[in-house]
Amino acid sequence: MKISRRDFVRTVALGGAGLVVGFNGRGIFAADAAKQFAPNGWVKIDIDGAVTLTIGKSEMGQGVRTSLAMILAEELEANWSRIKLVQASPSPVFDDLGTGGSDSVRDGWRSLRKAGAAAREMLAAAAAARWKVDRGSCAASNGAIVHTASGRRFEYGALVADAAKLSVPNNPPLKNARDYKIVGRRTPRIDGRDIVSGKAHYGIDTKIPGMLYASLERPPWIGAKPKRMEEEKAKNVRGVRNVMKTSRGIAVVADNTWATIKGRTALAVDWGEPPPDAFDSEAHFKRLELASRERGFITRKEEPPPGTAAVARTIEATYHYPFYAHAPVETMNCVADVRENRCTIWAPTQAPNRLQKQVADLLGITLDKVDVNVTLIGGGFGRRLGVDYALEAAEISRAAKVPVQLLWSRQDDMKHGHFQAASVHYLSAGFDAQGAPVAWKHTKAGSFHNISALDPKEVRDIAWYQDWSWGAYDVPYAIPAIETAYVTVDLPVKHGPWRAVFAPSSVFAREVFFDEMAHARNADPLAFRLDLLKGADIVKAGRVTIDRRRLRRVLEVVREKSGWGAPVPKGHGRGVACNAYFGHTYIAYVVDLRVNGDGHAHIERVVAAVDCGIVVNPIGVEQQIEGGIIWGISSALGGEITFRGGAAQQGSYADVAVARMRDTPAIETHIIPSNGTEPFGMGEPPVPPIVPAITNAIFAATGKRIRRLPIHPEDLA
Amino acid sequence: MAELRLTVNGAPRTLEVDDDTPLLWILRDQLGLTGTKFGCGVGVCGACTILENGKALRACQLPASEIAGRSFTTIEGLSPDVSHPCQRAWMEEEVPQCGYCQAGMIMTACGLLNEHPDPNDHLIDTVMSDSVCRCGTYPRIRKAIYRAAAEIREKKSSSP
Repeated sequence: MKISRRDFVRTVALGGAGLVVGFNGRGIFAADAAKQFAPNGWVKIDIDGAVTLTIGKSEMGQGVRTSLAMILAEELEANWSRIKLVQASPSPVFDDLGTGGSDSVRDGWRSLRKAGAAAREMLAAAAAARWKVDRGSCAASNGAIVHTASGRRFEYGALVADAAKLSVPNNPPLKNARDYKIVGRRTPRIDGRDIVSGKAHYGIDTKIPGMLYASLERPPWIGAKPKRMEEEKAKNVRGVRNVMKTSRGIAVVADNTWATIKGRTALAVDWGEPPPDAFDSEAHFKRLELASRERGFITRKEEPPPGTAAVARTIEATYHYPFYAHAPVETMNCVADVRENRCTIWAPTQAPNRLQKQVADLLGITLDKVDVNVTLIGGGFGRRLGVDYALEAAEISRAAKVPVQLLWSRQDDMKHGHFQAASVHYLSAGFDAQGAPVAWKHTKAGSFHNISALDPKEVRDIAWYQDWSWGAYDVPYAIPAIETAYVTVDLPVKHGPWRAVFAPSSVFAREVFFDEMAHARNADPLAFRLDLLKGADIVKAGRVTIDRRRLRRVLEVVREKSGWGAPVPKGHGRGVACNAYFGHTYIAYVVDLRVNGDGHAHIERVVAAVDCGIVVNPIGVEQQIEGGIIWGISSALGGEITFRGGAAQQGSYADVAVARMRDTPAIETHIIPSNGTEPFGMGEPPVPPIVPAITNAIFAATGKRIRRLPIHPEDLA
Repeated sequence: MAELRLTVNGAPRTLEVDDDTPLLWILRDQLGLTGTKFGCGVGVCGACTILENGKALRACQLPASEIAGRSFTTIEGLSPDVSHPCQRAWMEEEVPQCGYCQAGMIMTACGLLNEHPDPNDHLIDTVMSDSVCRCGTYPRIRKAIYRAAAEIREKKSSSP
């Protein structure tokens, strides 16, 4: 969740070996109070001039290791080629690591700039003192302080011993955006070379001395108990060392990965039959449909101003959003080495501190006895905010008394996900006698993440309900009467954050319904949006502040760049959708597609406009737009998870149809130059508006309205 | 358990391994060549793609019993200095996001270019659609394949 943060800096001299500047988000602290705070990074400059940045964010494809380094290097005036990165591990100093919510660059912007500037000022002061000149006559540039008048220069490394003795400026001057040399520059990924040469080290690549391998057979539905299994057969598989029951399933431990796979097959666990009331997604949808017509918890209510015309005509529609899996290509995995009162973990995790805490609790040891090493992540998408796989590995290592690598099979990964929860949305709109929209209602029936400890029934705070209905309660359009509501429906299978969290379903329903409203009064859907984004430029809804000017601008750009309004061939269609993600990142898409005779939608082109505030690395922004579009295409054209007998019915990429090269459109990204003062996130915001832009284009092409995802070709044939 | 002799990245290897062990796990667990990734184990994601005589193959679908005497190239052996046209094109076009699938993508693209030095969109769609990238790097993979193809053709035409 978002926490408002102040910045601060402090220094620690490392025995004259270098200058270290630390920072976190909660205020200035004295060194001896450090453990109360949570630095999200450290800057260290060695006497040889090397700059080491400790990254507190997990790299899972958003390029944060590069963009955070860029932010720091900019203010520090560092030599980009001398930047080295170290990944942070949980500790009393790093007690708030975690990657999600598209917050990494935004967090880093606030803290890293100040840390970089403070270090630069101290280095400059040290140089000025040595030369006995004014600080103002010295300039920092490319890893050195230069005395402008005389041309004398000191490399940073030569200054760190002096600089470390100085006090830290509380409010070092930050650079003017006009003077940026690194921020805003197209900067290749720091990890790029390692990735293309096979050297990049992901969780699955961890190997430590004495390590054995493990696979875990989990109960297929909640409460399932094994009736029979062939334990001896499994143990007879060459390489299998042991078969062990744990609280989370039956583990096969072996000398190598292949033996764990064979051992688990030989084990042939018979789980019997699920109970008749085991979870079934079709029945769940019926509950959601009924719930969507309840009054629910009101998340926003705008009363119409006096004089608003009466409703003369109402339209309504119901939208279904299914379950999805994250399905990252690197399956869940973890290496755990549990010793007497001590544990070391290597994990591809988005939540290192949560992982450390839960492993410590499981083993009954204190936090300082659990070391967590964060590896590169082969796709996160929110799944690795859950730490279930680390707990499993720790339990197996404890039982086996050796370090183990637990690796999930693809089937495990699909069937035991923390799924995107299904939801049903009821929307209605009222028009006055002249056809102007005067009333809007959106009720979302859904389920909050049950991987957290929060019990939705105990929650009374409106902010939670608003979070669960991102994209619904923060409807940006100027309609006099607005009522949005949320209804919580119990969901007994694991569900958690999935890329863009609660927004994709709400924005799908909202943006498709808005299209339906436009068509109900024969209005152009893009012009209709712009019309209803007039009025007050700034709209507040809960914690979200929407700047309609920015939303209008992205719509105007895609209108111009896509050739919106030009005729399209028969069978082709063009659709639009937009969103202001948490009031931060503004995106509009125009999708061009054709629907073949067999009902297959082929998305040919997507024109995107994005305003994410200050752009740190344009390559990263483009990549996230492209990736968000492909992610959305996966969810539009397939990828649904269904449940029968309490278990997911899909188990591989063969029956969860994720987007492939052949599904990929041409993508044009237009980045709006920002006059803003900070950068906003890009990992999640590109996802929500793409699916409604696709289904709106399908309507334009076929006259068929998609209100249930994913799209089935038989619906369009 | 039997003795297996094969060649990986030009180096002869002799291993003790069960007949049904897929090459993927021989590479990763026994030879420590972890650039070749596991993604599905059933040949539908492409993360474990390697080369044999320039042809792309799925390492998870090659049991030990079928690979004796054969010679394979993994991402680690594609070039000594990250100079293969595909590796360079992947960096030039800034393809990777999380990067996990990219070794398999690069090897699949090498196989495509070895067979079709002058590919088109249809060929790229056909061949590359057997591989999964959840980050959605496909548009850049397409550009990188065209870039690498151009570089390979240029080299050929300029060499005597």
